Amino acid sequence: MTRWRRVGAWVSGLRVRLVLAFALLGVTTTVAVASGSYFQARNVILQQAQDAAVMSLTDQLTKVYPIAQLPPTQDDLELLAQRLSDRESFAVVLYRDMRAQGGSEITDPLTPELRQEVRDGRIAWQRVSLAGQPALLIGTQLALDRPDGTSRPSGVEVYSVRNLVPEQQSIDQLATRAWLTGGLSLVLAVLLALLSARGVLRPVRDLSRAARRLGEGDLSTRLTVRGADELADVARTFNDTAGTLERQVGELRRLESDARRFVADVSHELRTPLAAMTAVTDVLDEEAEHLPGDAGRAARLVSQETQNLTQLVNDLIEISRFDSGTARLALDDVDVAAAVTATVRIRGWLDRVRTELPPGVVARLDPRRLDVIVANLVGNAFRHGAEPVSVRLRADPDWVTIEVADRGPGLDPEVLPHVFDRLYKADTARTRSEGSGLGLAISWENARLHRHGERRGSLVAGNGTHGGAVFTLRLPRETADTGGAP
Amino acid sequence: MTGRRTGRALLAGGLLLTLLAAGCGVRPSAVITGRPPISGPAQGTWVYLLAQGELVLVLRPVNTDPSPAAALSLLAAGPQENERAQGFTSDVPAGLDPVTVTAGAGRSGDLTVRANIAAQALSAHAADQIICTTVAAAAQVSAANTATTVAIVGSDGARGPRACPIR
Repeated sequence: MTRWRRVGAWVSGLRVRLVLAFALLGVTTTVAVASGSYFQARNVILQQAQDAAVMSLTDQLTKVYPIAQLPPTQDDLELLAQRLSDRESFAVVLYRDMRAQGGSEITDPLTPELRQEVRDGRIAWQRVSLAGQPALLIGTQLALDRPDGTSRPSGVEVYSVRNLVPEQQSIDQLATRAWLTGGLSLVLAVLLALLSARGVLRPVRDLSRAARRLGEGDLSTRLTVRGADELADVARTFNDTAGTLERQVGELRRLESDARRFVADVSHELRTPLAAMTAVTDVLDEEAEHLPGDAGRAARLVSQETQNLTQLVNDLIEISRFDSGTARLALDDVDVAAAVTATVRIRGWLDRVRTELPPGVVARLDPRRLDVIVANLVGNAFRHGAEPVSVRLRADPDWVTIEVADRGPGLDPEVLPHVFDRLYKADTARTRSEGSGLGLAISWENARLHRHGERRGSLVAGNGTHGGAVFTLRLPRETADTGGAP
Repeated sequence: MTGRRTGRALLAGGLLLTLLAAGCGVRPSAVITGRPPISGPAQGTWVYLLAQGELVLVLRPVNTDPSPAAALSLLAAGPQENERAQGFTSDVPAGLDPVTVTAGAGRSGDLTVRANIAAQALSAHAADQIICTTVAAAAQVSAANTATTVAIVGSDGARGPRACPIR
């Protein structure tokens, strides 16, 4: 099917159409010219042969006059027939029931319509096919002059049968030459068509290749503009478009990287004052119990918010590392089950999480990032879903899969595509998130950072069959550090 | 669309080639007619005999007397040996001879044949033989032509005048 379509596309392609058009044009012209001249030449050849034959016959016949005896004897007729026959022709002489023929075995070459015309008193001739060969029949009566200028038919009819094979041969030669000319012109037309098709198709092919490169993201693609025809116009337009596109995309990229750098700079700038504030709030926390009423609550609030702010700034710095491509993996051979258990235990969730962690799964990955991801997913499950929260580990030779599920209401289908967006708030009514809003985005980036050849880590959100959100983390088992590739 | 167009072009090309192939070489033709037949002088006396009910011209060897009367004498003598062998006959009675041919009473050039025969009893063929032979012989010596009429006057009266039916 596909092959047929490809054949169809090729057949209806520009090259084939051009070749066909040229060939048709060439052949039509050649056929018109060659056949025209062929027919003309054939007519001339036949005309000349006929005229010459008629002339020669009349010349010979004038020599039989004066006629001294009528009716002629059979001998007279035979003699006349012999005199009129030569290498190329033979004669048939008729007088009433008598008949004489000079040479040739052909018994009755004469056609009734020719005899009728001759009997009616005209010189007449006709081309016929005798024993498969073309022949010319010429017939005339012998008439007798009267003194008053009129003439009387004598009743003697003379026919000359002339072979047209030599004429046939020269006409055949003409035809052969016409076919040869036609064939040559066809070849020439096809060659010309291929040449011009190449001239037209090369810019088109260049254009197609450039458009594909542009579509693949190479915005610096430009065409060489040759000549000043329509195709050159197209190439120029393409170059202008590509130039505009490159400029605009460059501008957008610059704006985006400016914004990211700004965020990163701000985060860094905030770190130092935050460190100082944290030190102060630590002291405040200790003193809060001794502070009376509102003052104590205020102190605890300031301490809590400072922690949140610190977390947000840290997350922003982490995100900006991903964006700038400076995030690096610290790879180690990790027992995944042990690492997950450690993560859960450190956060104090060991009794609340159902774990299904087959031991002995060792993978090469960044343990800190694994910890970040698992802690984020489990924390989210507690915060937004409902218990029981389960963590399942599965492994095959290529992949390690960790599934974090809860039994809450699950994820809204409208939310699902945006779950990993930065600072995306699933609950629009909730203006103040407990987290930074960057946790899932960071987890997603962390998962993607793990890659090995074609395999690349992924984090996918979905809903379980029994309700509740299910986050599936897949990491390649062998990870190569590819540096800061985004 | 393209396929149909290509098909049509191929069809046209094929038709053209077939036509060309069919028109090649030397084709038989219809009868082509030219000028009137070759004509030349005849030596001898023109006599009209009958063959299969038709008037047929016969040339007799040169006679010293080219007059119509001499020609009619030859006619009265009937077909010769070789002529009879080829199926020539004559309806003219031998009693035609002696005969005289004189200028007719009507238009100038018209002729009258007088003989001692029963003119009314002559068959139509016999009359035509006499008339045509007379005119042909007269043309050699006078200004007779195909329009010349001949009257036959016999013992029982006149017949004609009439022109030779062979023109």
